This record gives sequence, C-alpha cells and structure tokens, in this order.
Amino acid sequence: MTEEDSVFDPTLKKKKKKKKTTFDLDAAFNEGGSIGDAMETSGDKENQEPEAPVPAEDDEALDLENFGRKKKKKKKAFNLDELDAALPDTKKEDVVEQQTEEIVVDDTFDLDMDFSKTKKKKKKKKDLDELVAEEERKEIEDKENEETSWVGSDRDYTYDELLVRVFNIMREKNPDMVAGKKQKFVMRPPQVVRIGTKKTSFANFTEICKTLHRQPKHLLDFLLAELGTSGSVDGNSQLIIKGRFQQKQIENVLRRYIKEYVTCHTCRSPDTILQKDTRLFFLQCETCGSRCSVASIKSGFQAVTGKRAAIRAKTA
Amino acid sequence: MSIQNLNTFDPFADAIKGSDDDVQDGLVHIRIQQRNGRKTLTTVQGLSSEYDLKKIVRACKKEFACNGTVIEHPEYGEVLQLQGDQRENICQWLTKSGLAKPDQLKVHGF
Ligand SMILES: [Zn+2]
Repeated sequence: MTEEDSVFDPTLKKKKKKKKTTFDLDAAFNEGGSIGDAMETSGDKENQEPEAPVPAEDDEALDLENFGRKKKKKKKAFNLDELDAALPDTKKEDVVEQQTEEIVVDDTFDLDMDFSKTKKKKKKKKDLDELVAEEERKEIEDKENEETSWVGSDRDYTYDELLVRVFNIMREKNPDMVAGKKQKFVMRPPQVVRIGTKKTSFANFTEICKTLHRQPKHLLDFLLAELGTSGSVDGNSQLIIKGRFQQKQIENVLRRYIKEYVTCHTCRSPDTILQKDTRLFFLQCETCGSRCSVASIKSGFQAVTGKRAAIRAKTA
Repeated sequence: MSIQNLNTFDPFADAIKGSDDDVQDGLVHIRIQQRNGRKTLTTVQGLSSEYDLKKIVRACKKEFACNGTVIEHPEYGEVLQLQGDQRENICQWLTKSGLAKPDQLKVHGF
C-alpha cells in the first residue's frame, strides 16, 4: 500500500507542494478549493486544524534531505506547464465559488494534514528496501535531470536521453509495473545490539535470510568477510559478531549484499535464485530470466590480529 | 593498458590454478579488519607491484598520522597495513597521488 502511494502520489503531491510554495495564498486557496472538492473529505478537519500547520513546515525541511521526496520535486518541474495551464482555470472557478470561504480554509488545512500523514509514512519506512529503492530513485532522478535538457534546444538528443524518455513514458503508462516491483521489497531493518563492549548481536539475522531467500551461511560469509571479523549464529538464531558495529553500518553491508546477490542485475527484481555452479555463484532471475554470475565472497588478505604468541604456540 | 585485448592476462589461468584469488582482478581492495575491542586496521591489497610499497607506507603514515607496515603475502603479494580505519584517507590519497583510479578501488566494510 504505502509503496504504491509513494509511486502514485508524487504527481499529486507535487502539484500541491509546488503550488503551495511558489504561489501566494490566494492561489493556495483556490487550489485547495479544487482539490478539496475532488477529495470530498469532511468531518473532523476542525479537530486537527491547530496541529496541521506545524507538521507541514517540518515536512518541507525534511523533504530537502529526503531522496524519495526530491525526486518528486523534480517531477514537479515536469508538470509545471500543466500546472500553469491549469491554474488560471481553477482561479476562475474559484472566484465564482468563493462565497464559501470557510470551506476553502478548511480545505487548505486538509492539505496540510495530508502532508503530515504522508510524512509519517515516510519516516516509518526506514527499511532496507526503502533505502535500496531510494538509491534506485536517485539514479532515476539524476537521469531525469538530463532528460529534458534538449527539448527546447537545437542540439540533438543523445541515446541516453531517449532511453530515459522511453522509460519515463513506460512508467507513466504502467504505474502497476513500477508499484508491483517495489512492493516485493518489504524487509525489516536489522536489529543490531551491542553485547558488552566487544561484541555485537544481529538479532534478526535468520529472519532476514528468510526474507531474502538466501542461505544463512552465504549471508554470514559475506558479512564477516566485509566486516573483516569473525562471528557465529548462536542458539537463539541471532548472529554474534566480534567487534562493535552500529545498525547503520550493518545496514550498509546488507544493502550491498542485496544489490550484488539478491536483486537481478538486469531488471532489479528481487525474485531471484542463487545457484552454485562449479565454483561460481549464479543469480537466476525469475522475473526476466536473466542469469549472471556474481562475485564470489572473498575475505582476501587477513592481517594477524590475535595474540602472536598464541599463534606461534599453535603452529609450532 | 586501456585496450583489453592487448593485456597479457590469460583467461584460463584461473581455471588451471583452480583457486579464485583476486590478485589479478586489477582492483585495489581496501578492507577494514576488527582488532581487539573497538580497534581496527585497514589493509590495502592489490596495489601494483611496480610501486614501492615501502615508500607508500612511509608517506601514508605521515599523512594519516597512523602506524603502518608492508606485509609480504605468498598469495596476495605485498599488502599495505595501516592502523585504524583509514579507508577514506587511503582512497583519497591513492586517487590524489594518481597511484590508482577511483574505479579501481574497491572499499569493503560498512
Ligand atoms: Zn531480472
């Protein structure tokens, strides 16, 4: 649901946003009127009125840092023409309708509430998948920047620009496709707790393995190789790692694992199977059928960190 | 260098050897390794053997204000070892000094 929202809403919300920030109050009212009509929400708006304005401000500040949001803003630029075209109309309509000022006011507050609601959703979703999705979005966003630069100019478009264009059109026309892809990416963030001063517990390690459909051993190998440490799964199926790590750090490594060993390198679908063939691992995608080899997990050079005396005693 | 076909790399060497070591993957692997408690060290593996690693380590020690050493490893060749988490530093330094291009660097860890 929420994923779908984030895919769908952008245009809607953007419009709202854009109008809000760039146009003056009148415009906002007008706009509020038209949108409010469409949404036909009613009832307890008044109860929430007092709180609404403050969250709205927060939202804006947060938005700047939020990748997912940024993308939306960019898209706004896209819709600007439409908006501008649409605005005069709504103004005219609203001039006629402006007798009911109270209702108009309510509607604007309603808008604010909308923002705060979506914000909350956003905040909750600090899941890994969300982060991965953000990464993807960022890439898309970057492309979008370049995309339309040739529109007004004489210069020829490049292949990349056309490619971006066609993908954007595809996404626009098939929102389900985009939404469907993202929906599968629901995963809880890793629960990371420190044990004492020297060890870290990754409590839902096995659960995450299950969500990713990967052998715990494979993920374990990767984690330990990347973090350059040792560890094991204990009786409560939690992973105990030597050293101090924060959730954010583990999340980073997990994200890299997902990128390399879970999502399809061609279509990014997480619906994949990891197979071992001779010495190599292959990632077989169930969505697009692509099959490619993935990097083998190597811890590479390991420096001597233990007590040298003990090692000497062992080997001697 | 830039023309793949002219490399003297033997594509079957790996298969013959039967081991998947990454000495020849052309990447500089920068890893972090856990020591006691919260202490870490950074290893840099895969720097071209044409470079004088002793000189490099001397420069790095000074630059990052940390200790470091060069270790000769039978499989991985000469490996740079620095105290603490110097991954960020060493990446910048290697790029700045032109010893490696950014896309040759593979940083591991969190
Ligand atoms: Zn695929």
